[in-house]
Amino acid sequence: MLSMTNISKVFQTDEIQTHALRDFSLQVNEGDFVSVTGPSGSGKTTFLNIAGLLETFTSGSFLLDDINVSGLNDKQRSRFRNEKIGFIFQSFNLIPDLNLFDNVDVPLRYLGLKGKERKERIEHHLDMVGLASRMKHLPSQLSGGQQQRVAIARALATHPRFLLADEPTGNLDTHMAQSVMSLLEDINTKGTTIIMVTHDNELAKRASRKIQIKDGRVSELDKVIDHDIDVSPQAIA
Amino acid sequence: MFFYYLRMAKISMVKHWGLSLLMILAIGLGIGAAMTTITVNYMMSANPIPHKSNQLFNVQLDSWDVNEPYFDDGRPPAQLTYRDAMALMDARKAMRQTVQSQANAVIEPEGDDSIPFQVSARANSADFFTMFDVPFIYGGPWTRQADESKEQVVVINSEINQRVFGGENSVGQTLKIAGFYYKVVGVIDYWNPLPRFYDISTGAFNETEEIFVPFSMIAEEKINRSGNTNCWKPSGDGFEAFLNSECVWTQFWVELPDNQAWQEYNDFLTAYVQQQKAIGRFERPLNNRLLNVMQWLESMEVVEDDAVMMMAMSLMFLLVCLLNTVGLLLAKFLGKSGEIGIRQALGASRRDLFYQYLVESGCIGVAGGLLGLLFAYLGLQGIDSLYGEMTRGLTELDATLVLSAIALAILSSLAAGLYPTWQASKVQPSQQLKSQ
Amino acid sequence: MNEIALIFRALLRNKVGAILISLQIALTLTIMVNAVFMMQERHAQMQRPSGLDEANLFYLSNTIFATDYNQEVALRDDLELLRNTPGVVDAIQINAIPLSGGGWSMGLQTEPGENQSSAGVAVYMVDDHAIHTLGLELLSGENFAETDIQWRESGTTRWPAKTIVTQAMAKELYPDDWQSALGKTVYISQTQPIQIIGIVRALQAPWNGWNGVERSMLVPYQMETSNSRYMIRTEPGRRDELMPIIEKALAQSNKGRIIRGLRTMEETRERSYRGHNAVNKILTTVVFTLTLITGFGIVGLAMFSINRRTKQIGTRRALGASRSQIMGYFLIENLMITTLGVVIGSAGAIGLNIWLVNTFTLSPINPVLVVIGIACIYLVGLLAVLYPARKAANISPAIATRTA
Ligand SMILES: Nc1ncnc2c1ncn2[C@@H]1O[C@H](COP(=O)(O)OP(=O)(O)OP(=O)(O)O)[C@@H](O)[C@H]1O
Ligand SMILES: [Mg+2]
Repeated sequence: MLSMTNISKVFQTDEIQTHALRDFSLQVNEGDFVSVTGPSGSGKTTFLNIAGLLETFTSGSFLLDDINVSGLNDKQRSRFRNEKIGFIFQSFNLIPDLNLFDNVDVPLRYLGLKGKERKERIEHHLDMVGLASRMKHLPSQLSGGQQQRVAIARALATHPRFLLADEPTGNLDTHMAQSVMSLLEDINTKGTTIIMVTHDNELAKRASRKIQIKDGRVSELDKVIDHDIDVSPQAIA
Repeated sequence: MFFYYLRMAKISMVKHWGLSLLMILAIGLGIGAAMTTITVNYMMSANPIPHKSNQLFNVQLDSWDVNEPYFDDGRPPAQLTYRDAMALMDARKAMRQTVQSQANAVIEPEGDDSIPFQVSARANSADFFTMFDVPFIYGGPWTRQADESKEQVVVINSEINQRVFGGENSVGQTLKIAGFYYKVVGVIDYWNPLPRFYDISTGAFNETEEIFVPFSMIAEEKINRSGNTNCWKPSGDGFEAFLNSECVWTQFWVELPDNQAWQEYNDFLTAYVQQQKAIGRFERPLNNRLLNVMQWLESMEVVEDDAVMMMAMSLMFLLVCLLNTVGLLLAKFLGKSGEIGIRQALGASRRDLFYQYLVESGCIGVAGGLLGLLFAYLGLQGIDSLYGEMTRGLTELDATLVLSAIALAILSSLAAGLYPTWQASKVQPSQQLKSQ
Repeated sequence: MNEIALIFRALLRNKVGAILISLQIALTLTIMVNAVFMMQERHAQMQRPSGLDEANLFYLSNTIFATDYNQEVALRDDLELLRNTPGVVDAIQINAIPLSGGGWSMGLQTEPGENQSSAGVAVYMVDDHAIHTLGLELLSGENFAETDIQWRESGTTRWPAKTIVTQAMAKELYPDDWQSALGKTVYISQTQPIQIIGIVRALQAPWNGWNGVERSMLVPYQMETSNSRYMIRTEPGRRDELMPIIEKALAQSNKGRIIRGLRTMEETRERSYRGHNAVNKILTTVVFTLTLITGFGIVGLAMFSINRRTKQIGTRRALGASRSQIMGYFLIENLMITTLGVVIGSAGAIGLNIWLVNTFTLSPINPVLVVIGIACIYLVGLLAVLYPARKAANISPAIATRTA
């Protein structure tokens, strides 16, 4: 259902060109749980952004649900993201001015659901991540792990068929990381396709499929075990 | 979605209340100042008789000194000499015509204990009332015959009717004016054209007169004329000589139903001047004017310089306020680029975002507009108290003005919001999601 | 120096914001300078002396309606009554009131004839008590004698043989030496000779907007008119007390007329310049609010940019920048923006002035005013950015290690 062939992405800045992805080809099937590892700067986030239609690519072809993505305009792309894709970010990316309820509400609004249905879904998903009682709290009043759980609730509330997670556990302790991972496995067994970028080898192993990105190219890791995985946490931007 | 955006706007405005307040205040002050001065200008340049301003024409003839023009820019005198006005009156070449002059008189009511009082008066001919659509409560205008036979008749306004006759139908009663007895033929209702176009030589924004008597009363020396008199050549001694002099002091208006009538009347005026030239008058080049109401007000520059200048100032002031708002909105929206990135990732299209932030700009605009209305109201009150009765009737907000104030506020804040909104919706999601 | 280049480059990255404030500052300067200039002009006009003892003068209208009324006798009686009222210094009949807006003007010329150029002059018809009543200062020559006063019948076009003119009028007729006007015979109504027997320092015409407002003449006439005015000068401090007394006394002394329209000279001046006063108050308000808005705009934008850069500023502090360096950064940034605004604004101020000069009758602006305006703008900018800059300087370096 996700099929990338010979994708390349070049960032053109003032003087230098950065080849974030080159000749990148990948096939992901419905129900896969793919973990993505690779050294810092290898192009993992770039890949995820392109997969999530947040960014365009320079050349190659990308089919999502058999639809050629490069032909879509902004409106169609937003619709696609809204209906089919859920995002979880390393830095949570909750909207600071909105309380938890309203944060989860955001994608549902763009989905155009009725008020009652939205309310049900929000309550159900916040309940699922154990935060139903904190609905009126602002993100700044939560811990990092709790924020990440809200972000997951928000990503799942639209019932996406794709879940893209960029280091969802990067800012969490081991215990928290474990429980987030279990949550993702749970969702995967219910049929959601997941692509997760992580630096944690242990977590990566629990995925049904492992790939590694190096210098903008992909290599399947099912058999090969890589030795030089960079496990240092993301630098504080 | 609109209500969702409204709620989002509210959350955002409350969160950044200082900034929002500053923007609302800026727009409010700008709109308030602009509306205040626009109101005064609008009132000064209003059409005092909209339904027939294109059929009423002021007559100007250049009877002035051959050595220097009346106005520096060459416009002919604003008024006519008595003899020319009478000649045009006698010719009766227009559908309706009226000659007039301001006057004043003392009214002595009946009864021993009653106190005489002074009134403002207008001496005019019969057509005046029909031409200018003067509304009557009782009776009506006097007839052309009354003019010709120099009858002592009077039309009074409702205040004088109240004061002298207790507000009853006084048609047929007599009134002692300046020592002579006049028969009341009509009582007029409140009538207050602004500007008072029919005679701006004595103040375009003055009140209408309290009583109206036939123009012939001036020549009969039964009423005292007042108002503006301008002479370029000494007249001889005595009132008779004054009437025949080259002094200008009468206003002359005609009603002409269509273009053809205008053309004919204009030709008639030309012929009249040519004929006068033959007997040695009108030494200046032919310079007749036959302007309709609005052209006339325009050429007499009824809108005061101060008012125009203030309006220019206040529009610049509004511009500053808008620049202020653009800057603050831009800062605010760019401060939200993180949120914008997230919303895009969650499925908002650029158009959704554009709409959302436009609603927020619009909210600020509406709030600013309402505040602006309040400021405009206060501003007009302020102008009233600064100028006193000099701005009579010029400082009232009507529905058109209120609506245009709100429209101006929303339009200008949307204009101010457009660039920041557009910038906001252009945010690249992938950039924003990464750097937090 | 390096630092300044750095700030400049950072500014360039946020061009639009900087340009917006600059434009705002420019317009503020434009409006401010021109508004102050217009206020100054009006103020100067209002400062011109009328030549009268304004504080102790009032006047009233005497409207005659009775048909059997001997005006000559009545006037004599009235003036006698007025002049003998305790507290009254002197009183006259006069045809027009200075600064009131309504009056009579004629032309005077030094040579007789129809095609000679003449100078416009306001005419006051008065008797020999005028100088004393109005409180005029006779610079040279003499007052009218009682025998000079003539009875002017309504409708006459003849003029008396003598006149007293203001210094400004004398200058207008004899630009080289105004004193030489004394004793000269000039011509009124093109051909009638009239001799200048006295020159007074000042007496304003009825029209304050007329550029010849200082040019007036007194002629020795008492008028036959059904609508005349009496000007009355009282002892200092007794004006208000005497006004109703005199109104009543006159009204009772003769029932064939109405006494109305009592007004003090002070009120006349106030009414005459009410428009000027109003415009000045409005302009003051405009300039004041404008400066406030621009000031707060600068505060708002600076606060915002500081809030957004909190972490960056904290990091700089952590890396060793001192408080004053952080403050300096924002002050210099503000200085750059203000300078851009001032450059555009000075051009704008002069441009607007040129427009005003062309559209209305205004004189060109004094460049010193532009300089003062620029100084004010810099001051406002500095004051406005002070609070945000101090706030920025107080950001704790510890912020850097916290995740925002
Ligand atoms: N907006 C951009 N402009 C220029 N270069 C960029 C941009 N975004 C990413 N890059 C470059 O593209 C390359 C890949 O970046 P990417 O963010 O995908 O790395 P990553 O694998 O996610 O690394 P990390 O594990 O550190 O997050 C890097 O060399 C990066 O510098
Ligand atoms: Mg990354």
